[in-house]
Amino acid sequence: MRDDTLKYLLVLPAVLVVSATAVWPLAESLRLSFTVGRLNRPGSLDQYLGFENFSWAFMEDPAFWNSVWVTAVYTVATVGLTTVLALGLALLLAPEGRLRSTARTLLILPFAMSPALIGVSFRFMFNPEFGLFDAFFGLMLPPLAEISWLANPTLAFAVCVMADVWGWIPFLTLVLIGGLAAVPRETIEAARIDGANAWRVFRDVTLPQMGPVLAVVVILKTIFSLKTFDQIFMLTNGGPGTATQTLSHYIYFNGMKYGQIGYAASVAWLMVIPMIILTYFYAKFVFRKE
Amino acid sequence: MAEVVLTNLTKRWGPAVGVDNQSLRVEDREFLVLLGPSGCGKTTTMRMIAGLDEPTAGDIHIGGRRVNDDLPKDRDIAMVFQNYGLYPHMTVFDNIAYPLKVRGTPKSEIPKRVGRAAEQVELTGFLDRKPKALSGGQRQRVALARAIVRTPKVFLMDEPLSNLDAKLRVTMRGEIKRLSRELRVTTIYVTHDQVEAMTLADRVAVMKDGVIQQLGTPDEIYDDPANMFVAGFIGSPAMNLISGSVRGGVFLADGGAALVRIGAPDLDRAVLGVRADDLRPVGKGTGDVDAAVHVFENLGESTLLTLRIGEQRVMARGGRHERKKPDEVVGVTFNADHLHLFDPESGARVRFRGGG
Repeated sequence: MRDDTLKYLLVLPAVLVVSATAVWPLAESLRLSFTVGRLNRPGSLDQYLGFENFSWAFMEDPAFWNSVWVTAVYTVATVGLTTVLALGLALLLAPEGRLRSTARTLLILPFAMSPALIGVSFRFMFNPEFGLFDAFFGLMLPPLAEISWLANPTLAFAVCVMADVWGWIPFLTLVLIGGLAAVPRETIEAARIDGANAWRVFRDVTLPQMGPVLAVVVILKTIFSLKTFDQIFMLTNGGPGTATQTLSHYIYFNGMKYGQIGYAASVAWLMVIPMIILTYFYAKFVFRKE
Repeated sequence: MAEVVLTNLTKRWGPAVGVDNQSLRVEDREFLVLLGPSGCGKTTTMRMIAGLDEPTAGDIHIGGRRVNDDLPKDRDIAMVFQNYGLYPHMTVFDNIAYPLKVRGTPKSEIPKRVGRAAEQVELTGFLDRKPKALSGGQRQRVALARAIVRTPKVFLMDEPLSNLDAKLRVTMRGEIKRLSRELRVTTIYVTHDQVEAMTLADRVAVMKDGVIQQLGTPDEIYDDPANMFVAGFIGSPAMNLISGSVRGGVFLADGGAALVRIGAPDLDRAVLGVRADDLRPVGKGTGDVDAAVHVFENLGESTLLTLRIGEQRVMARGGRHERKKPDEVVGVTFNADHLHLFDPESGARVRFRGGG
């Protein structure tokens, strides 16, 4: 057998597995997005509508726009907060030292928890009957103990953001510590001697050299925030009402709960567009040439 | 106008000692070189002067002011780093201008002063480039320009030429010498390269294990080493250190060969230090002693003969046209004005009447 043929034969099993588990479902979801696609109506999976699902989402579905808005605010808030807080923590934890390396190890713990578990934990902690936060506020600030956190749309959204920020800070901090370590020490020392105070050293020398790492962190976190599902599903299940219904939660609701698999597929494909754009920039930063 | 005074300066990291209770006075406008092998404490000393490391004990005065508790930016110094320490995201212009900008120099004045500094290091055509687009020598010029754009009290240079190739190092060495003569600012220069030390310094401080072994002019360090370490560290080839004894005014090498008359009292154990340049090969039987050639090397501008004296090897400098074969026996003449005796235990110099 020629090497040429052999190499394709060897790759074939992997190609088949990937096709069956990723390519085919993707293609099928794209096909379904153009159909009536109701799970409870036989034959509707082959009943084509053209772009009607898409135009329905854009023109006639306020719930779709609500979830777009929720997702956008959620993404901006979580990306901004996580990045700023992680950068602060990285600056605190980057220098060598026994205390700091212990702190760096402890920092991993939130990241070791699955997002669904984080969601459940926060729901328990904010439980008005026996939650940790209510007990805490009862002792420290009694007026706050009266608040039913997850029943108020704004507060429930804030709790979702908080849980996400809490869960993602470790990963971002570790990446940024790595980025800080890659900043040449001499450039920082040179700036200190040249006359810069701590803030100017950070602004003029450290931060600009962190640019590429920060860009990667922000893009990655944006992708993660855009597709958040499990945490929200466990914490608020999109509620109260639709106050915390993100796009992926809306897709799940349509597809799995209401059986509108065709419509869910088309909304899912709408979500793919910003993802592709972000992934393009991510790849550009990660694989950029020197 | 500033002298730098170190008083009982010490740096320890736990049990490890970097600099051990050293005092040093660098005069105003002096070019002082801290010279020593790696790990001798020379860079640590400089970093403490810069304020990048904190002394464990002792005082640092710059221009009469105690600066121990001052931040680096408040010490009015400029520093050139071994790997340049340029800001990679800024252009050459912005790199040079940074010390001015951050210290609030009027905006209108900055281009003028950057231009003048760039001119002094011959970088005028490169101001728009980023450091990445420069060669090693050009990068070091940017670092120099950034140092001289202000007139600080003290220049600190930490092995500024070590990352350059041999040829460029010679050129830049000359440039630094010219600049320091023009600027006349107190300069402390750290290096492990004795040629840089010899050529640049007004005075050299030779360091080892955190202790200054000798402080003196290049001539003193070369011709009058304070101990065996300095004798062995300075010079290429290093000074010959021949162990033996002194009996009746004659130095006897281990094994018994009488080498040379020396005006010292009897010593059971002694080390004779003599530079290869002060040992001249002559015809067999006509010198102070005869020795067999172990290795003969032709360096072009001169020759080097490694000779066997007992079990020891001694290097002598021969003329450009000297040609010898291995195992050939030659005579050797000692330059009696430049013989040094050392105590083999302590390494300390043993002074004697009529000796160098």
